[in-house]
Amino acid sequence: MSFLAPGFLVAAVAAACGVVALHFIVTRRPRSVAFPTARFVPDVPIAARSRSMQLSDLLLLAVRVLTILLGGAALARPVFPPYRERTVRVIAADVSGSAASVAEVRDSVRTLFRAGDAVVVFDTAARPVGSPDSVVAGLGATSSGSLSAGLVAALRAGSSVRDGADSIELVVVSPISRGERDRATNVIRAEWPGRARLVRVTEAPTVSSSPPPAFDFLSVSRPAFSVTRTRIDTVGAVVAQGNVIVAPFERRWRFTADSLRRARVIARWVDGEPAAIEWDSAATCARSIAVPMDSTGDMLLRPNVIRFRAALAAPCQHVESVQDPTLEKMMAGAGSLARAAQFPPASDIDSPLARWLAGIAIALAIAEMVLRRTRDSGSER
Amino acid sequence: MRRSPHDEGHDKVLYGVLLDAVRGLRWRARRASRIAVPGIHPSRVRGTSAEFTEYRPYRQGDDLRRIDWKLFARSDRAYVRISEERAVTPTYVVLDASASMAFPDGSGSKWLLAQQLAVALIAVAHSGGDPTGVMVAGNPRATIQPRTRRGVVAEVIRTLHDVSVSGSSAVAPSILAAARSSARIAIVSDFLGDLDETLRVARELIASGRDVYALHVIASEEIDPPIAVSVVTDPESADIRRSLAGETRSGYQRAFEDWREATAARWLASGAAYRVIVAGKEPVSHSVRRIVRDELSASQAG
Repeated sequence: MSFLAPGFLVAAVAAACGVVALHFIVTRRPRSVAFPTARFVPDVPIAARSRSMQLSDLLLLAVRVLTILLGGAALARPVFPPYRERTVRVIAADVSGSAASVAEVRDSVRTLFRAGDAVVVFDTAARPVGSPDSVVAGLGATSSGSLSAGLVAALRAGSSVRDGADSIELVVVSPISRGERDRATNVIRAEWPGRARLVRVTEAPTVSSSPPPAFDFLSVSRPAFSVTRTRIDTVGAVVAQGNVIVAPFERRWRFTADSLRRARVIARWVDGEPAAIEWDSAATCARSIAVPMDSTGDMLLRPNVIRFRAALAAPCQHVESVQDPTLEKMMAGAGSLARAAQFPPASDIDSPLARWLAGIAIALAIAEMVLRRTRDSGSER
Repeated sequence: MRRSPHDEGHDKVLYGVLLDAVRGLRWRARRASRIAVPGIHPSRVRGTSAEFTEYRPYRQGDDLRRIDWKLFARSDRAYVRISEERAVTPTYVVLDASASMAFPDGSGSKWLLAQQLAVALIAVAHSGGDPTGVMVAGNPRATIQPRTRRGVVAEVIRTLHDVSVSGSSAVAPSILAAARSSARIAIVSDFLGDLDETLRVARELIASGRDVYALHVIASEEIDPPIAVSVVTDPESADIRRSLAGETRSGYQRAFEDWREATAARWLASGAAYRVIVAGKEPVSHSVRRIVRDELSASQAG
């Protein structure tokens, strides 16, 4: 058992010692009673009588001391520390618009989370959540998140889990993009007394304003960055952004590994092989579509084909390179994990025992009054 | 000790029960009265009432109507019928309202007992047709002259209700003042004040033919002090501050008992009717019956 405010307990012990000392030092002056026949009392000098200790006095003393000690203990707010793990984690999950998928963030948190860990989610603001399942997008999910907000929440969470661990590991699940940094981020990060573990998630793509590239489905010539297949085969379907065309396509080309390195797949064959890619150029983007499709015919009138063609003709989506190596380095920090003792204790820790102790102390105070009055009335009789 | 107006309702109940309990009692005079006003007590005056006592030879100046003519016819001698007269006995109840009467605090105080005794005795005397009054020692405003009119008992209750019990007033001057207009004086006191002077005055009054009742009021706590009381102070004399513990306690009890016995002996020797009334020991009506009935038998014997 430990005390959140042990000073009160020390003060109570001192006060109890004072009460005990006063109980033995201070002697009650015998009260003079008006007595009409006092003249018949033999006139002898009034000698000081040593008051013999009575049972009621000891009981009263015990009640008084207990009242003070229990009152002090209640103010000192005793708490029973939980079982102490070696390391607990404070997981700061980024659910802002900077992350491509909140589900991906949630999966990452679920993987990292252990019993006793604390989870905070942040976008433009931060809040603690009880479990990884509570990692959902908030109102600020449409804009970039704030690492500063997440770090502040993580610091608070560190105080709340400090009693259960020796070390605290900060885990930041975020794309850690440049837009999430502000002027306070460095200062707040410095408040965390240890290194952090960064778990990067996919950054949300940004919609380019560049016009869609021209392309032709009637690919009689080899599409860019593709090579002719050694063995031409057929495939039953192609998918682009959820739009499926089921048809006996003849696959003549394939994209090489080098061509896919800098490109993004925008359509795939049903067996997973890229069917169309796009890549960024200086001012716009370019696409290479290896889907052989006639420019005329009834198939082009099918709704799914229309949607498929619209998806391929949509403006280019490309991710701007917003990674900041210095930000990542700053966020990761260096050195060892933060020690739990380096976090201030949370001021809002509830101490259920304090309420009981205060109640018992009040009851004892009432009992002390009753005892005192009983003793006084007994002495008057 | 001054009682609050809120106690008046309690007084009505208290005195109502007490007056009911003493209804029908007669407080006979211990001595024949010298007063000519007709009443219920024996009178020293011989008259012509129906209660025949003796014959006396006719003397010059006697009323001719008082001659027993039948006896004159038989004996040829003139005799006058003499009969016993009945007279009233004006009664004064003198109360000691010194600070010692306010012991102990609360409803069991000697002063409350003294009030009840006074009211009950006045009611008894008043019911017998005697003029009754009350006088509080050292408090001239709390004095009611002996009267026979209706409502005197209620007036006494109201008067005593407003009396403040304090100080150390002497009782003897009040007894002397009361004796001017009364033939019977009941002194209700703890006799812790001017006992010698009171006794001297009482002896003179008794010698002059008045009835004197010494009603000694004692608190049970005075006889057997509480164990917890260790230091005591005389309420009428702050100089007296004694330790009442251990050996002094038994010494006190012996001294107080000796004093009570000596006081009783002195009062009895003076010719007064002396009664000890211990607060709370018996109902007040019983004390009143003890005072009144004993004297009835005494007067009959006398």
